Amino acid sequence: MTQSSGKSNRLIATNEDTLGPYYPISLCDNDSMDLTEIRSGIINKPLGEKIIINGCIKDINGNLANGILLEFWQPNAAGIYRRPDTETHHKLDPWFTGYARHRTKDGNFTLTTIKPGVDVDLETPRAPNITLTIFSDGIMRIVTQLFFEGEKANDTDPLLLSINEELRDRLMIKPDGEDENGIKKYKIEIIMAGDNETPFFDDLLS
Amino acid sequence: MEKLGRQIEIGPTDNTSNERTPRNRLHLIPDNARGSFAPYAPQNYGINPAEADMTRIAPGRPRGEGDAIKVTGQIMDEFGRPIRNSLIEIWNANKYGRYTHIEDHSGLQLDPNFLGVGRTLSDNDGNYEFWTIRPGEYLARPDIGRWRPKHIHLSIRGGSSRIITQMYFAGDPHNDTDPMRILMGDNFDKNLGKEYETDGEDFDCGYQFDIVIGGKNPTFFENN
Ligand SMILES: [Fe+3]
Repeated sequence: MTQSSGKSNRLIATNEDTLGPYYPISLCDNDSMDLTEIRSGIINKPLGEKIIINGCIKDINGNLANGILLEFWQPNAAGIYRRPDTETHHKLDPWFTGYARHRTKDGNFTLTTIKPGVDVDLETPRAPNITLTIFSDGIMRIVTQLFFEGEKANDTDPLLLSINEELRDRLMIKPDGEDENGIKKYKIEIIMAGDNETPFFDDLLS
Repeated sequence: MEKLGRQIEIGPTDNTSNERTPRNRLHLIPDNARGSFAPYAPQNYGINPAEADMTRIAPGRPRGEGDAIKVTGQIMDEFGRPIRNSLIEIWNANKYGRYTHIEDHSGLQLDPNFLGVGRTLSDNDGNYEFWTIRPGEYLARPDIGRWRPKHIHLSIRGGSSRIITQMYFAGDPHNDTDPMRILMGDNFDKNLGKEYETDGEDFDCGYQFDIVIGGKNPTFFENN
């Protein structure tokens, strides 16, 4: 049993480490980057508008950051997250998990998903957003949240209001035409360090 | 004035760390946005129990070279509550310090019977177990002569709990100069597997490695 610290009953946490360069590619074989299908060949689909987001992660030199592990997390079309505290929520979509994971070899990714919605019943409604967690060699995990350019709810979102306008713009997923089936495409560039660095958020309760 | 979060330090002598560490302080998450920042992973079904035996590529196949070891432990939050049904992903180098990863260009010796990749789930009490071959140390940075001590990589994902960590081995002479170890300071012993004897079992020895997910990795919903 791990020893607790003198000050509280809490146990001392195990140290986090970097992902390292050799996270096994095959461990992501069953992870899907298409949140519009829980499994292939099933007739049921999540509610909402299907969209495609193409993105990339770059380092301080503007090079694509290879070999990183990405986690995406978002609410459904009604703005509801699938969590223990929402299990019985009447707007929870049974065909939408909101969770995707991907190991990118070259720093690029494509996420097919449902446009996240706004939970208007909340005291402080959140603008449509997608949380992105990055696990990488050389650094412990970092977290940010991405938004959609031009959304009315952006003007009152508590997270966007907590940073300045220039930084806000770096979190915006921008429209990028349509694919051959008329599905709206979007794009986003994440810069881990240096000029035009993407703002990252502290996941520590401190 | 805006309150700011941690300033992440660039890890010592590591190029990737320099290239990828944000230079600006992290921004604190406002309280009323926090619930959205803890990705809640769906439960994992259908992990094959044979994936916990990393000493061989598949059941019935010969074991890889080196010492077969058993690693056991409990995964819990800071309050000692078990983290159940979490996905544990494991990867380690073979006895010669070589990963089977296609991007390991070290040229060190491969072992035809060692895959070096495994998975298992924690049980209802948060306990887990896997078997592997004791990894070799390896020269991670030939340009500056920097070795990595023997270590096993583990990624744990259960509900909103996340940690990516490494289990180290006490007494490895490369522990003292390892940058990852230096960053941990006095807390390094939390990342050491505690050796025990496995009498009558087909292993050279066992290691107990309990994992507490907390600190920068709070188990957000589980703690509520
Ligand atoms: Fe390693």
